[in-house]
Parts: sequence; C-alpha cells; structure tokens
Amino acid sequence: MLGRVVRIAVVVAILALVVTLALAFRRDPHDIRTGTIGKPAPVFTLDRLDGSGKVTLADLSGKVVVMNFFASWCLPCTQENPALVRVYERYRASDVVMLGVNYQESRDNGLAYVARMGMGWTTVADDDGRVALSYGVFGPPETFFIGPDGVIAGRHIGPIDEETLVNAIETLRARAVR
Amino acid sequence: MNGRIVIAVALLALAAALVFAARPHEVTADERIDQITTELRCPVCQGLSVKDSTSETARQMRDLVTQRVGEGKSDAEIEAEFRAAYGDWIFLSPPVASWSGLVWLVPIAALAAGLVLVTGRLRSTDTPQVAAPSPTEVAALRERVAREEAAEG
Repeated sequence: MLGRVVRIAVVVAILALVVTLALAFRRDPHDIRTGTIGKPAPVFTLDRLDGSGKVTLADLSGKVVVMNFFASWCLPCTQENPALVRVYERYRASDVVMLGVNYQESRDNGLAYVARMGMGWTTVADDDGRVALSYGVFGPPETFFIGPDGVIAGRHIGPIDEETLVNAIETLRARAVR
Repeated sequence: MNGRIVIAVALLALAAALVFAARPHEVTADERIDQITTELRCPVCQGLSVKDSTSETARQMRDLVTQRVGEGKSDAEIEAEFRAAYGDWIFLSPPVASWSGLVWLVPIAALAAGLVLVTGRLRSTDTPQVAAPSPTEVAALRERVAREEAAEG
C-alpha cells in the first residue's frame, strides 16, 4: 500500500517537473517579469544629456512612453539602434514618446554616442544609476513600455527589433483608445 | 580541593566569556549595510552578493543602501524597495514565504518521502508475510497430528 503511494507520488512529481519545464521553455527569455511590470512606473527627475533642462515622469503623463536604457560601451545597444531610429521616425508626430536613459557613462561619452547614432529623441543622464535600480534594470539595452496611465505594461531585455517595438506600442495605443 | 576550585573558576570564566560574547549590542550602521548588501544579489554577476562584487552596479546598490540606512529606513523597508524593482530574485537566499521558497521545502519533502519509503521497506522485511495454509495443508497437518497422538497413545 505504502509502496504504491510512493510510486504515485514519484510519478506526480516527475509530471509536475515536465510541465514546469515545458512552460518555462515556452517563455520569451527577453520578456522577464520582475517586480515592476503592471505597477506604476517609478517617478524620476533626470537631466537632459545636452544640459537643456530636466525631464520628469510627470512630463510624459498621458502618453505612451518607450523608455530605453542605453550606453555607448554596450554593443547590443548599437545593434538595436537602427530599429529605434525607424520607430522614432514613424511615431515622432504622435502620442508616443521615446526616452533614452544613458546608463553608467559620462555625459560627454553619452552625448557623443547620441550624435553619432542619430538619436533624435530625448535622452537623459542617470548619473548615479538610481532610476535604473528603481526600474530593476539588469544592464543595457533594456526597454520599458509605459502606458498613458503611467503603468509599466512591459519590458524587453536585450536588443529589441522594430516589430517588437511596434507591437508593444500599438497594443498600448489600442488600450488607451478603449 | 584546589583542583575543584580551579575547575569551578575555569567554568565560571567560560560562562562569563560566553555571556559577554552573546550580549545584545547596538548594531552599527556599517554592520547593517554589510548585512543587507550580503543578502542582496549583484544583478550583473554570477552568484555574487552586492557586498562582494566590484561591479559598478553593485557599487551603486551599496550607495543606495548606505543612503537609505542614513535616512533611518528599516532593513525591511530597504529590502522591500529592491524587491519592488527586481522581485525575490534579488535576494541570494529566497524568502521562505514565496514561490521561490519552494527551494527550501522540496529537499525537506524529498527527505521525508525517503524516510517514509525506507521505514516502510524495513517494516515489511521485519514482519514477513506468511500465507495462510490451504485446506489440503490443514487436512494433512491434522492427519499427521492424529497419527502422532495415536502412536504416543
């Protein structure tokens, strides 16, 4: 009787392990759900990289915000930049705001990179890394999608492509219209 | 007599040293910072704590912890701030009261299952199952007993 119970328990445990692994392998490794998803975006006040003033989260209220953490020393950031430029050009006259957050870098280096890569959108300096820590950033590039309600709807870890950017933006815009 | 006194004094000295070592003392800010950063995982390292890592990210996290301790925040409040951003993953030892806490419970459950299995096996070998005799065997035994009684009588 006892042996039977143990055998059933072992089978159930193996099945549970198989199901867990199957579900885990189906997940997108770039879509890591940490503490900030579905919660209000942490507030911030950051200097513009070009020194022309400050940007706060409140300034972006009511808009779809694509917040991208980048650095010039980050090779994947260079790889994803053309996609960001195309998406910026596509949405620049709309309710979508792109915000580049320079990560662990001097402002001079960040500014030179912005000019070299043709980043026309607003870029800010996270000098002490506090904003990155409050968003739970692991390392650049990372992109957060914040809805008009100020809630973080999604994040993408690693270099992002145009399709993923457009899909995320359109999902948020559609949600805002409803 | 002298020997007993020496032993008694030694025991008293040992007890006094233990009491002195275990006395409650005010935890300093530096000790709190060390304790908190020892428990926090460095996000850009492989299994290193924030305290042990030399990375820039770990340095920024240490600075944040230092600032929060200076502001009078409790350990729980500081840990909650990191948990809000990174989830339970940010702790090197996952909290017991969470899904991650299963890593603590699974080995205990496996050990308990193993003990139950071994105990069950040992019991089954201690008391071997004896099959009841068949009617033919019973009849043969009765016949043998009757034969032996007749031979003795």
